[in-house]
Amino acid sequence: MPKLKINGKDVEVPAGATIIQAYKASGQDICHYCWHPGLSVAGVCRLCMVQVEGIPKLQIACNTEAKDGMVVNNNSEMVKETVKWGLDFHLINHPLDCPICDQAGECGLQDQYMQFGAYDPEMAEQKVKKSKVVDLGPTVVLDSERCILCSRCTRFCDEVTKTSELGIFNRGDHSEIGIVEGKPLNNNYTLNTVDICPVGALTSKDFRFRQRVWYLKEADSICPGCSTGCNVKVHYNEEGLWRVKPRVNPDVNGHWMCDVGRNTYKYVNIKNRLLAGKVGRRDSWMEMSPNDATRTAGMRLKDVVDKHGPESVALVLTGQYTNEEYKDLLVYFVTGLKLKNIFHWVNNPEKLNDFDGLLFRGDRNPNTKGLEAALKLAGSKGRWEDLQAGLNGKKIKAVVVAGPEDQSVYPDMNEKVALFAQADNLVWFTACPSDALNGSGAETWQIPVKTHAEKAGTFTNFQGKEQKFPLATTIVPQALTLSEAAEVLAGKELNWALRPKSLGGAKNNYATTERGAL
Amino acid sequence: MSLVKRPSPAAQWYLPGILAGMWFTLKKMIYNIFNQKKMVTLNYPEEKYEYSPRFKGNHVLTVKKDGSIRCTACMLCATNCPAQCIKITAAEHDDPTVEKYPIAYEIDVLRCVYCGFCEEACPVDAIRMGPEWQTAGLAGSKFTYDIQQLAYRPQLKGGVQSVLDDQERHKKGI
Ligand code: SF4
Ligand code: SF4
Ligand code: SF4
Ligand code: SF4
Ligand code: FES
Repeated sequence: MPKLKINGKDVEVPAGATIIQAYKASGQDICHYCWHPGLSVAGVCRLCMVQVEGIPKLQIACNTEAKDGMVVNNNSEMVKETVKWGLDFHLINHPLDCPICDQAGECGLQDQYMQFGAYDPEMAEQKVKKSKVVDLGPTVVLDSERCILCSRCTRFCDEVTKTSELGIFNRGDHSEIGIVEGKPLNNNYTLNTVDICPVGALTSKDFRFRQRVWYLKEADSICPGCSTGCNVKVHYNEEGLWRVKPRVNPDVNGHWMCDVGRNTYKYVNIKNRLLAGKVGRRDSWMEMSPNDATRTAGMRLKDVVDKHGPESVALVLTGQYTNEEYKDLLVYFVTGLKLKNIFHWVNNPEKLNDFDGLLFRGDRNPNTKGLEAALKLAGSKGRWEDLQAGLNGKKIKAVVVAGPEDQSVYPDMNEKVALFAQADNLVWFTACPSDALNGSGAETWQIPVKTHAEKAGTFTNFQGKEQKFPLATTIVPQALTLSEAAEVLAGKELNWALRPKSLGGAKNNYATTERGAL
Repeated sequence: MSLVKRPSPAAQWYLPGILAGMWFTLKKMIYNIFNQKKMVTLNYPEEKYEYSPRFKGNHVLTVKKDGSIRCTACMLCATNCPAQCIKITAAEHDDPTVEKYPIAYEIDVLRCVYCGFCEEACPVDAIRMGPEWQTAGLAGSKFTYDIQQLAYRPQLKGGVQSVLDDQERHKKGI
């Protein structure tokens, strides 16, 4: 374990670590572009210059191993000058079109210039013009002029996805990132290149030009896309969620996440959501508040249990809710209604154990493990055949379903609605509207519930690791969580004053569009 | 606590004060009748005041040489606007040299405080504060100016051209 002095501060780093890692460990600032903790060392940007006592020339911190007793600094005049003019070299051909660049506000060039550069440019030469909008594939756009050739993106494709789509072409100041013809950047991890690009050269087609980043707030969350449970940040504002980015967790996802997971913000937004409770059946629906819909559903369930006994009600759960919600719901159904018919709806049993070798798993539910544990605790041994037999034999009079939050990963939605609708009563908790549900033949309660971004809770991932996440924002304030629904089903009142409100705020210039006659 | 201020005994003699005021008005009226040239008031709306060219009136979105809108939808004006009355929706332009442009640009001029921060923020001379200030309307919605109104209203006679041209700048190697 080498011990060294960094800008006068003692640090101890694991053997084999580089000086830049010692800087990061000691929490000191160091300028760098090409080094990324999740990639190999390239040493091409030459900005991480440090002075090591006993070595006459400056060294790059990212490629110099930290040795015991080293005395390193990056605040001497010599280092500062070198870094400053190094930055000037990076900006020689940079177009400086920050106003239309999506990266502005979170850009490495802007930050490092303000922190380490802050010089008056001395280049009088013409800039080399390159292509501005290069289509690299279905998800990523390249602006060659902005690229500083740090090679992070090519290293990512070589080392992490091992697909090597990207490369550096041409020489000197005509060097450009590019793809080989006929082989676009098209894998399930492409958008990580956008994240690690320190400038705005790589931008995401999905997010491009839709928001300036300074209008976005961020909150920690867990990706609900599959059972890996990557740690993510969701970026949102008053209008809803705009993008998902990975958060570092070496035990689960490292620095990355997949492109499928990045799309999970879409169904959370208000235009894709079920906003009011709906009660009725095919062609005749009555809208009511989620609270009222749940209360009437609760009364009906009690009636059914009183008349036909607890065997006449079945509870079907999907692995898309939090551990806390399963617990609260099961407490009501198992101890309150004395239910024994509890079933686990598995959407794609044949793909459950698929794995792409990196992150993405075939089990497209974030909390299958958590549901299994909750069911075990509740003593449920519901087998799917029993449910089917009960429904066919008309023994089951009511089915309560905690349906999928993300319906696109449940291809058997239609089939299952038709199956459950054989019962007389169907209570379905769903975040998004569904055509299948609107065509249900049973007397149906569609009750809007909150999505993962709108509640705090815990998901248990495929490793059995419990990952807590906080409430990020509230999109549909009137929707219930399953825990709240369990209370309302039991006939209790919710404390409306304590429930989270939706954001709303001045940034939303609704007044400009909605004001009528004076 | 509330403070009650009683009129002083002197103030109860208001009639002399009123008469003095009326005498002053009469004096000024007679003076103005005989010195009409020196009068400081204007007979609006027949006469109009010439403001200085720096006057900050209704916004103008400038146009490029080809008549298309200059704005690049960078949203710096919207970010800078203290009244938060600018709403821009950006989109990708078919022409790769343009890249980003606004498909909607709206200013709620009833919320605008005419501070001119938007014109200060604009990096490409795409928004200016024009000389117009007489704007009347009957409905609140009339005061949400869109691109059509901001760039191509009849008074502008086809649009005001921006001084910054990207093509020329690129030729200079900027
Ligand atoms: S595109 Fe971005 S990540 Fe790739 S080399 Fe250029 S600056 Fe680096
Ligand atoms: S691998 Fe799974 S958990 Fe990770 S981002 Fe993709 S879908 Fe989400
Ligand atoms: S003049 Fe001031 S208040 Fe009006 S739009 Fe511009 S920045 Fe906003
Ligand atoms: S008017 Fe100027 S500052 Fe405002 S969005 Fe357009 S280019 Fe940007
Ligand atoms: S970070 Fe060390 S050379 Fe780029």
